[in-house]
Amino acid sequence: MIEVQGINKRFGEVQAVREVSFRAQDRRVTALLGPNGAGKSTTLRMLATVLRPDSGLARVDGYDVTADPMAVRRRIGVMPHGSGIYTRLTARENVRYYGQLQGIANAQLEARIDTLIDQLDMTSFADRRATGFSQGQKVKVALARALVHDPKHVILDEPTNGLDVMATRGLREIIVGLRDSGCCVLFSSHIMQEVENLCDDVVIIGGGEVRFEGTLDALRAASGRDNLEDAFISMSGLEDNA
Amino acid sequence: MSIIWTVLKKECLDNVRDKRTIIASFSLALLGPLAFAALMTFFLNRALGASDEVIDFSLIGAEHAPGLVSYLESQNTEIKMIDVAEGDDPRALVTSGTEDLLLVIPPNFAERFAAGEPNSLALIYDSSELGSARRRARSLDAVLSTYGRTVALMRLQLRGVDPMLASPIIVRDVDVASPAERAMMVLTTLPYLILVVAFMGGFYLAIDSTAGEREHGSLEPLLTQPVTRGQLVIGKIAATSVFAAASLVVFLVSFYLAVPFIPLERIGMSLDVDGGTILAMLAVMLPLIWFAAALLTVAASFAKSYKEAQTYLSILIMVPTLPVMLVQMSGVEASLPLMTIPSYSQSALIRNLITAEPITTLEVTVSVICTCVLAALLTWLAVRLYRRENILI
Repeated sequence: MIEVQGINKRFGEVQAVREVSFRAQDRRVTALLGPNGAGKSTTLRMLATVLRPDSGLARVDGYDVTADPMAVRRRIGVMPHGSGIYTRLTARENVRYYGQLQGIANAQLEARIDTLIDQLDMTSFADRRATGFSQGQKVKVALARALVHDPKHVILDEPTNGLDVMATRGLREIIVGLRDSGCCVLFSSHIMQEVENLCDDVVIIGGGEVRFEGTLDALRAASGRDNLEDAFISMSGLEDNA
Repeated sequence: MSIIWTVLKKECLDNVRDKRTIIASFSLALLGPLAFAALMTFFLNRALGASDEVIDFSLIGAEHAPGLVSYLESQNTEIKMIDVAEGDDPRALVTSGTEDLLLVIPPNFAERFAAGEPNSLALIYDSSELGSARRRARSLDAVLSTYGRTVALMRLQLRGVDPMLASPIIVRDVDVASPAERAMMVLTTLPYLILVVAFMGGFYLAIDSTAGEREHGSLEPLLTQPVTRGQLVIGKIAATSVFAAASLVVFLVSFYLAVPFIPLERIGMSLDVDGGTILAMLAVMLPLIWFAAALLTVAASFAKSYKEAQTYLSILIMVPTLPVMLVQMSGVEASLPLMTIPSYSQSALIRNLITAEPITTLEVTVSVICTCVLAALLTWLAVRLYRRENILI
């Protein structure tokens, strides 16, 4: 389980995240939803231990991200915004590098990579260098890399960005599969429609603050709108700006 | 340790696959010694050509001027007497390549000589041809002019005129830098060249593994792995060191193979570079390789993009040659305190190794310890830079 309690993060003059609190449960897919610049990425980066919260508490499986980042890193698989894979390495080599950094023994690692290549349908490009991979292929490599150590918690920053319909559908199946195997999946997005088919719980962030936390049905009920997009807009505070 | 090894292997594999990095890292190392040997040979040949090269040429019409021919024979020459049929153009012998330098004495030489009339001798060669014909033609021209001047002076004297009247101005050439000395100047550039090679070898890997990684967005996921920043940075510096060392090895092997082609023995000098010297040079340079890798990594870590890092590092790469130049310009003798300066101490040690001057254990120890201490400080600084949060922002 991922728990966030009143975290704050400021970059110079900008208060990027303000008193954000939420929970992402195991066996659930939780979407962190908000317009561009709402503070989604900053929140996820703090959970991924690459940024430190100024104040507040963030815990993964009970381990504090500031006090015990190593324990947290062993329990999370992170796919940041943009795949960030090495283009001169093959898909397999990209995944292997992270497996080695995770300290997985060789024989076990190779078996795990084979399983992932099979699961993510990467066989056709597994041993090709990543130069010229399509966006969908890059996302798959980055996802395989994030999952190589079989993490209990998966954090994905805008995973569907730049994917076509088929690739998005493939990713949805993968995420559902992860949930059903007992993972806690937390992902961010700014597109309501794709969230609708994918997540169990929603956390809406606007202007660095949490505007809503609950299930999709609860969101419809709370906003008084049937259309999720309208609900999202009214909740995230976009309406005030429009 | 195994994490550092993993990072090191990945960075090396990644960069071995990059043509640009390979070319930039190794071209100077491979071609430097060749250029060096070519330059040395060029200056040495010029030095030798001026003094003791035999002027070897062919001569037509020797029978018309026995006096001139016996004078020429008394000089440092080797003459091949040849005949041509009447009406044949002697120039054809040179254009066809049969002869490369040909002196033609006209049939009426003796007659005109006796009458005190000027004689014209043809000196035929092809200046566009590579080879020594042009140089020998100049030497032969000088010998002939000396002969002509001697004859003229004797004639004046016979007529009761002071020969000095005919030479109102006498120019003496006093060139302090002999070509041999210029060749030695080339030799003193070798320690600089080695420094630059060591820095160039790590140049692109240092950029790619730091600023490049930031630019491509691969740093952020890397930092979510359960490894310390120290392990990552030391792995990257180690990979940069491997490339710098590989580049240096290429340089030294290339240098070792090129040295025998430099005609140093002809000016009574020898470059003592056997396998042992080469290994000693490599050993002396190892601490500097670590220093260079750490320095490049620190500088490149400040940059947000590949281009920006390239700009910083292009300036930085001039730094190692500065202490060497400053010490040379100020004329300070190599001394123990100077051995504390990285890059200067290595270049001084290498100079002594090449010229077979003695090196004390103390000098080597001071050089190794001081360079390693500074390299360790830079490594620590690089790790500090990676611990900052804004390495990502």
